[in-house]
Amino acid sequence: MSRYLLLFLINLPFIFMAILGAVTQYKLHRSTRQKTIARVSLWLIVAIGLALTQPIYEWLFSNKLTQTEPLSLFDVVEITGIVLVFYIANRTRAKVETLEKRIQDLHQELSIKLSDR
Amino acid sequence: MSLTKSKLRVCVVIPAFNESSVIGDVVKDVVKTFKSTPYSTEIVVVNDSSKDNTAAVAKKSGATVINHILNTGAGGATATGLSYAQQNNFDIACTMDADGQHDSKDVVEGVHQIIVRKADLLIGSRLINNQGMSKVKVLGNKGLSLITYVLFGINSTDSQSGLRIYSRTALEQLRWKTSGYEFCSEMLWRAKQIGLKIDEYPIKAIYTDYSRSKGQNNWNAINIVKSLLKRRITEILG
Repeated sequence: MSRYLLLFLINLPFIFMAILGAVTQYKLHRSTRQKTIARVSLWLIVAIGLALTQPIYEWLFSNKLTQTEPLSLFDVVEITGIVLVFYIANRTRAKVETLEKRIQDLHQELSIKLSDR
Repeated sequence: MSLTKSKLRVCVVIPAFNESSVIGDVVKDVVKTFKSTPYSTEIVVVNDSSKDNTAAVAKKSGATVINHILNTGAGGATATGLSYAQQNNFDIACTMDADGQHDSKDVVEGVHQIIVRKADLLIGSRLINNQGMSKVKVLGNKGLSLITYVLFGINSTDSQSGLRIYSRTALEQLRWKTSGYEFCSEMLWRAKQIGLKIDEYPIKAIYTDYSRSKGQNNWNAINIVKSLLKRRITEILG
């Protein structure tokens, strides 16, 4: 199997999960249309970038814009790692924001309830 | 607003942090000014976990005091005060600074103006007539208003003003995420997003040595801009 195809197939589940997550958030009214479009577009760009790695590399190489070696197995692992980290970081940030908001709301409600009138 | 003027319930929210030396006079002044109006008024001081006796002084002066367990910043304290106003079914809420830089007559005028103009969020602008304001403050505030325009497309002469008047609709719908001073700009952005009618009216700023020492440092503008940029980017990422 081509290494370029392997790179795309390994990363496809993360991209699929990220897009699915964005659409689900929108369908559950937890996200706006604008945000969803931005998130889906971002992951589609990553997917297109990964799918077109080989033609992009060949074009760059034939036009003498790069002299790097073709994709190695290590590169596949490395790029997958980067995509995974990006996916996890984005999810974690979203979760932290939700938690922060919930703590703020809790603090607000507690302060109002506990204040003697 | 379908209610008649005489029946309107107005909540004046004053977020305060270590303001014990002035909060008493500010509350008494607001109480006195609103006494001669037809509005039913409650003054709410949100004590943002002050280290001094801000809460005791405010309570003694006639305010309802909400004590924050943790220090959250101006945005958090304002959100708590407005949430209180919403939960207690006030028709209109006002926010003003605790350092005495706002004239209570301007607050009353704001309440009148929001009814007349049928606005949802009315901003008391210190920069329509900026007499008494130092050039540095004028520059800092104009700069932040410009940044608010560039980032969020909101054209306000004084995006950082603490004197604001909120309709019942705004109380029910308006929410923001930041808890520091940057909430001033974010609030305008959220108001625009949910389609609230934003307007502004001129107010005067009273600068004393105390309010100058308590006011925002212009360097804080950098933190505000950083936070607003972060908010703008994370909003896109979801």
